[in-house]
Amino acid sequence: MFDKYVRFIKNISINAYGKAGVILTTSSFLVFLVFELARMTGILTNAYIGLITYLLFPLMFVIGLILIPIGWYKRLKSTGKTTRQLLQQQFDDNELKESFFGSKLSLKIGLLTLVNILFLLFASTQMLSFMDEPYFCGTACHSVMNPEWVTYQQSPHARVKCVECHVGEGTDALIASKLNGMWQMISITFNLYERPIPTPVHQLRPARETCEKCHWPDKFYGDRLRKIVRYQHDEKNTPVYSTLLLKIDSGKKGEKAGIHWHVAAENEVRYVSVNDKREEMIWVEVRQADQTYKRYFNNTLLEAEKIETSDPRILDCMDCHNRATHIYQDPEKAIDERIQAGFISAGLPFIKREGLRAISINYNDQNTGLIGIATHINNFYRRNSPLISTSQMPEIDRAIYELQQIYQRNIHPHMNISWGSYASFIGHDHNSGCFRCHNNHMISNDGEYITYDCTTCHSILAMEEMQPLKYLEPVEEKTRGAEMHRYLQEEFKKYYRK
Amino acid sequence: MKSLVILILLTMISLSWAQNEMAGKCMTCHKLKSPGLYKQWYESQHGMHEVTCLDCHGASKSEADAFLHEGAYIATLVTPEDCGNCHEKEAREVQNSYHATAGEILDSQDAYLAHVTGGEPAAILGCESCHGAKVIIDDNSPNKLSKKSWPNSGIGRINPDGSKGSCNTCHTRHNFDKTQARQPEACGKCHLGPDHPQMEIYEESKHGNTYYTNIDKMNLHSDKWVVGEDYFVAPTCATCHMSATPSKKLSHDVGERLSWTLRPAISVHKDNWQQKRKNMLTVCQSCHGSAFAEGHYYQYDALVHLYNEKFAKPATDIMNLVIQEKLLENPASFGNKIEWTYWELWHHEGRRARHGASMMGPDYTWWHGIYEVVQHFYFKFIPEAQSFKNKKVDDYIKNLFEKDATHQWLSTNTEELKKGIRSGKLQQKYQELFIQDK
Repeated sequence: MFDKYVRFIKNISINAYGKAGVILTTSSFLVFLVFELARMTGILTNAYIGLITYLLFPLMFVIGLILIPIGWYKRLKSTGKTTRQLLQQQFDDNELKESFFGSKLSLKIGLLTLVNILFLLFASTQMLSFMDEPYFCGTACHSVMNPEWVTYQQSPHARVKCVECHVGEGTDALIASKLNGMWQMISITFNLYERPIPTPVHQLRPARETCEKCHWPDKFYGDRLRKIVRYQHDEKNTPVYSTLLLKIDSGKKGEKAGIHWHVAAENEVRYVSVNDKREEMIWVEVRQADQTYKRYFNNTLLEAEKIETSDPRILDCMDCHNRATHIYQDPEKAIDERIQAGFISAGLPFIKREGLRAISINYNDQNTGLIGIATHINNFYRRNSPLISTSQMPEIDRAIYELQQIYQRNIHPHMNISWGSYASFIGHDHNSGCFRCHNNHMISNDGEYITYDCTTCHSILAMEEMQPLKYLEPVEEKTRGAEMHRYLQEEFKKYYRK
Repeated sequence: MKSLVILILLTMISLSWAQNEMAGKCMTCHKLKSPGLYKQWYESQHGMHEVTCLDCHGASKSEADAFLHEGAYIATLVTPEDCGNCHEKEAREVQNSYHATAGEILDSQDAYLAHVTGGEPAAILGCESCHGAKVIIDDNSPNKLSKKSWPNSGIGRINPDGSKGSCNTCHTRHNFDKTQARQPEACGKCHLGPDHPQMEIYEESKHGNTYYTNIDKMNLHSDKWVVGEDYFVAPTCATCHMSATPSKKLSHDVGERLSWTLRPAISVHKDNWQQKRKNMLTVCQSCHGSAFAEGHYYQYDALVHLYNEKFAKPATDIMNLVIQEKLLENPASFGNKIEWTYWELWHHEGRRARHGASMMGPDYTWWHGIYEVVQHFYFKFIPEAQSFKNKKVDDYIKNLFEKDATHQWLSTNTEELKKGIRSGKLQQKYQELFIQDK
């Protein structure tokens, strides 16, 4: 049997092309089987192997299969013989003898083709399912995707596969994503991609199909209490607190409405933005009870800029939660979080100020950055408080480690990603987010503004105060803070009693 | 009747409470949106004494610049009338002061110059930034104020409510600190440059000198600030022109202590100047003996007379002759070279000399002052006048140079002049400038 196969192989590999084809096909097939067996039995666990097993081997296999007929064709051309003559030259008459099911040779070829098809089917399903793994998305295009891979792994959606948001279900989505993937391969090969890569929110599937599989609007109700700690830049890293009661209800009739009013089933908000970047609004409109829309224009834009560059977009999750997964942090907030969690010791003098300085420096590459952070912090304590630099050495080392972690997550010099490269639209940092529409320059034809009253979206229980619940305490009359304190306390009570 | 009174009282109470509640709302947003403004207020005396947003910015719907903002009628512009609700005396003094008339510049020669030879943007950002704009109401503007007249914090701003000026010219918003208004820099925003270098002169003078050396001893933050009592190392602009002395109260009328007007081409005494000089002398005498103070005025008056008699009056006469004789080529004022020469002679160099003398700035009195007057009078202005070859003009000049003893030097030889200085004969020619005005 084996001899027969070897003879067949020898006969079919008619020249250099044929030989190469046969070697490629056979070897990749055999090694694939070995690897797959090893994976099934748990010998191979490295996810990276998938790249070889499911992408490289099947590819080699197919190339080999293509080479064999090329060899035959070449031979035909060069000798001027007919196919029949060539077959007779290579194979026994016995093999070529016609019978009811065709010749022995054609039966053999048919059988092998069936095996090939089965193998390719198996390999390609394996390949597709491997390509659905976040590991593939995050590492196949190693340097380009690394920033997204790193931030994804540290995000709340780290257990949701990339493809669940980026590809979606159905053949159309699959084909679209593979075509897109081919373009990505070309742009990487020929270095055609932008640095940093523009956020692909436009290609994302509608939030109705993705986000709302888990987070459906009926779920947004009630309030959420959020305490934001900011450590000041003084020696003691004194914390100040801002405490917000976020009103996140989607608000049905007769109930209190909150931020998710925007996506409640009965409401619709649409907008057009400058260059379709969703950063600066041209106009925004909201559906009224009579199904007409009330439109608010951006009156800071010149007439020329008001030209609509895209179709109106119906506001959904992504317009505010644009960075629900690949979250790039604000440097100050990143440090605050780690001090609050106790990872960076608040007992280190000036650690907030110096930490921020260390990670804000513009380093040439990540490695220089990591070394630079350590040098900055170590030097600061050695120079200014040698006692602390020895007595609190473990705390300092830990702080350096944490700062390096922050840096590594957020800064990617090779992709031109630094602080603030990717804006987040949640909240209203840097006058963006909510304030894109809720401001004093989106104005309707009858002169009405979209409300930008702070307490529309949150009650405020402390705003940069030393106590987290300052405004719930009794008002200190005759002080500078009294009026704001009283106003915010009354507002909270009025809202909460509803 | 009783119930009506109670009703009115209740309404007032509830209104004032409502206003306070609204101020809390203002702060909630502005603490985030304009944190600098909020913090300035928070650190200010207003902040410490419960003077909040709507006490100054609250408006009634009927006011021309009132606009509805987050449920309240607001006016961006805070005028001396608004400040006067609490600072009644200060607002009254300001309304009566020369400062308050600064906005009338729009009808003056300076404004003509900027509008005609320069252009409107230069007039807005130049002249009107110091002098004050006439505030224009624009219903299409979000705060009802035309962008051509807002921002504007000129000291003579003409406000929609009829009041003049703006207190934050000197008491910079939003902390309205009196400390800042006491320092020379507050005045130096406008009182500087080629036409009235008061700031530079002050810096040159002994007064400025000692101030900058001893700034930490100036007690600038003190509530009470009487020269000689609360501080004594040096005076600032405010000390001499406005602030309290042991015998005089603070006044926001800056002209109360000025006996000369040094502004026009030919200086004249101000109305009631003797009293005004006495006012200033009491300030001087907080630190100086009376002979010192009076000696200063003796020298200063003589310099003003010198400028008036030797240069300003003849130059003005010649300029008037040139106009009368219709010698100017271009019809527009400032369309001819000699007009610029004459203008700079009095408006720039002439003022520098007089201001320098008044505030003891030697370099400004001579090198930046009379020296330049001399050079431009003899070797620019006179030759330009003579170039018209008009008999009346030429006769006037010939007569001046021959008959006026102070101009005769031109035709005298150097040796003789030097001899004159040594013998005191030359100085004699100027003796009558040291007359005391009555």
